Amino acid sequence: MRSRSSVLLVVAALLSFACGGTAGTGGTSTGATITFGAPLGLTGSLTKESTLTQQGYDLWVDWINQQGGINIDGVKHPVKVKYYDDTSSANQSAVLMQKLITEDKVNFLLGPYGSAATATDAAIAEQNQVPMVEANGAAQAIFNQGYKYTFGVLSPANKYLQGVVDMAATLTPKPTSIFMLSADDNFSLEVANAVRDYAPSKGFTVTLQKYKNGSTNLAAEVQAAKAANPDIVMNSGHLLEAIAINKAAKEYKLNSKLFAYSVGPSTPDFINSLGKDANYVYDGSQWTPQVKYKPSFYLTESQYVDAYHKKYPGAGDPDYHVAESTAACLAFQKALENAKSTDPKKVRDALAKLDVMTFFGQIKFDSRGINTYKPMVVEQIQNGQHHTVFPTDVADVKPMYPTPAWDQR
Amino acid sequence: MVNFLQLLVLGLLAGGVYVGVGVGFGLVWGVLNIVNLAHGALVMVGGYLTWTLFTRLGLDPFLSLPLDALLLFTIGYLLQRGVINRVIRAPLLFTFLLTFGVNLVVINLLLLLFKSDFRSVTPSYAGAGLELGVLVIPFTRLGALVVALLLAAGLAFVLNRTRTGLAIQAVGADRDAAQLVGIDLRHTYALTFALGAACAGVAGGLITLIQAITPTAGEPYTLQAFVVVILGGLGRVTATVAGGLLFGLIEVFGQSIPGSGSVYANAIAFGLLVLVLILRPQGLMGRLR
Repeated sequence: MRSRSSVLLVVAALLSFACGGTAGTGGTSTGATITFGAPLGLTGSLTKESTLTQQGYDLWVDWINQQGGINIDGVKHPVKVKYYDDTSSANQSAVLMQKLITEDKVNFLLGPYGSAATATDAAIAEQNQVPMVEANGAAQAIFNQGYKYTFGVLSPANKYLQGVVDMAATLTPKPTSIFMLSADDNFSLEVANAVRDYAPSKGFTVTLQKYKNGSTNLAAEVQAAKAANPDIVMNSGHLLEAIAINKAAKEYKLNSKLFAYSVGPSTPDFINSLGKDANYVYDGSQWTPQVKYKPSFYLTESQYVDAYHKKYPGAGDPDYHVAESTAACLAFQKALENAKSTDPKKVRDALAKLDVMTFFGQIKFDSRGINTYKPMVVEQIQNGQHHTVFPTDVADVKPMYPTPAWDQR
Repeated sequence: MVNFLQLLVLGLLAGGVYVGVGVGFGLVWGVLNIVNLAHGALVMVGGYLTWTLFTRLGLDPFLSLPLDALLLFTIGYLLQRGVINRVIRAPLLFTFLLTFGVNLVVINLLLLLFKSDFRSVTPSYAGAGLELGVLVIPFTRLGALVVALLLAAGLAFVLNRTRTGLAIQAVGADRDAAQLVGIDLRHTYALTFALGAACAGVAGGLITLIQAITPTAGEPYTLQAFVVVILGGLGRVTATVAGGLLFGLIEVFGQSIPGSGSVYANAIAFGLLVLVLILRPQGLMGRLR
């Protein structure tokens, strides 16, 4: 045992010597490595979404290190991300955040996956005054605490299905009633309540039915929707529930003109799991590979999609979880460049003042720290492919409406 | 009225899965006195086998169920003989810890093998169903219920009509007396666990027809199996069947309460569980031991 650990020590020493050697021979002005910390649910119920988040972070890390690092006042600082597995538990995530700050002494924090973990982590970031940019917590509850060190690059929860409501108002024959199913977690309820409050102004009636977060047996809820016979069925939940509802809708012949789910349809898993039954489903998406923004730095949308295919062959197109996670890194990159310093306070101020256009859209934070400036887009699955259908200026196809009955597909 | 009938059907169909998950869990608990926290993970192993056979070979999910049972029977036997048997006479906490550990290991092996992607089995008849007037009965769920009931009947037959089954029951009733009459304890323990795991495998195969699976999707089923077994009563297959169907009905009727009622479906189920524990601790159909 003793001899093995001493061998390991020697190897480690040699390796670090070798690495130091190559950096030295480069002859460029390379600054100290900037370390970001991120607890992610690499096991547990949020593994899928957390893996997508990690992919988004890693894509940027590869790219920026190819450029030599972040350019801070003429010195290029390479970056690395230190990950921990929070087992999809929000409490564990906060514990690991604290560990990243005090033990690993990371410079900055990237967010975990999900609103629950982001909320607990934001408190840690605030206590330690270390800036955190997060990409996967859209609940506004996180940003209504008066925190100064947490920034979210994504559109807040209340926007998730607003686009679908706006789009539905333009369709003929115009649908008039919405049956809104919602999981009972913070994020999902914010999405659902926003629809309940907003849709009447567009001429819709809304019925809200809540269910337990994480349910896989949603037959009774679908039955309730069927009894109400609405034009539109919406779900505010997660991938798991979206799949369960779509399956139950087919099994129990719930035929509506429009099905829209807040989270789920944008992931490749939704189409893989449901096959052609995934067709016609709409979702509100933070980003799609089809959107056309004019980024001022980093990659364009198509370059981004190519880079993703190259790094993760066989994974399909990047979905918005990947893109928004990359966007969080881009916010840090620009803020560090603008701050010309790695001082946490200065970087925080630079983040607060940030206003840049990226492949993900505009990144600019309101006074609470959430990005209310970027619009959501509406996606529809048509013939097994994701297409952007709304707003019309970024859409690549028209919505297929109304959705045919299950026995006529 | 129609809605009531439809909900009744929904509840019974939902109960089918709980019966499938519950019988194996109840057997292991009743005979070995082990609350197997890895049961849900074993369920998912069966689920992934069904999924693999379906996607690779196009094998119908119902036809892969015997293979699920066989694989899990083997895994269960080895797991009990090699690992769990070492703590079989230890206090309950040890078996809790060990099966929890097994749970983590199995889930993470599944994560390594299959990643965290959501997997689903969609045979051509998925989503199709009987339509009796306005009543809808999906084929896959009906099939799952029938298989679960057959599974329970088969298990009851093995336990009550075969030498092995009687040996298992004898060990469950009195370990020392069973040993005195020449029953090989370790083998019988392992067989019991293997049978329980085989039931879990079949349940897993059924679950792939009903929901998308991930390596962690089995965890809620461990909890549900626990409730089902307590509701029905420990130590009898028929009691578990009753508990499973009842749990399905409670869930569905709870969920159908308008507004936020469905949030409380679990609260209702667990409330009933507490009531049963107070008023009839042996379970609704259980025997006092």
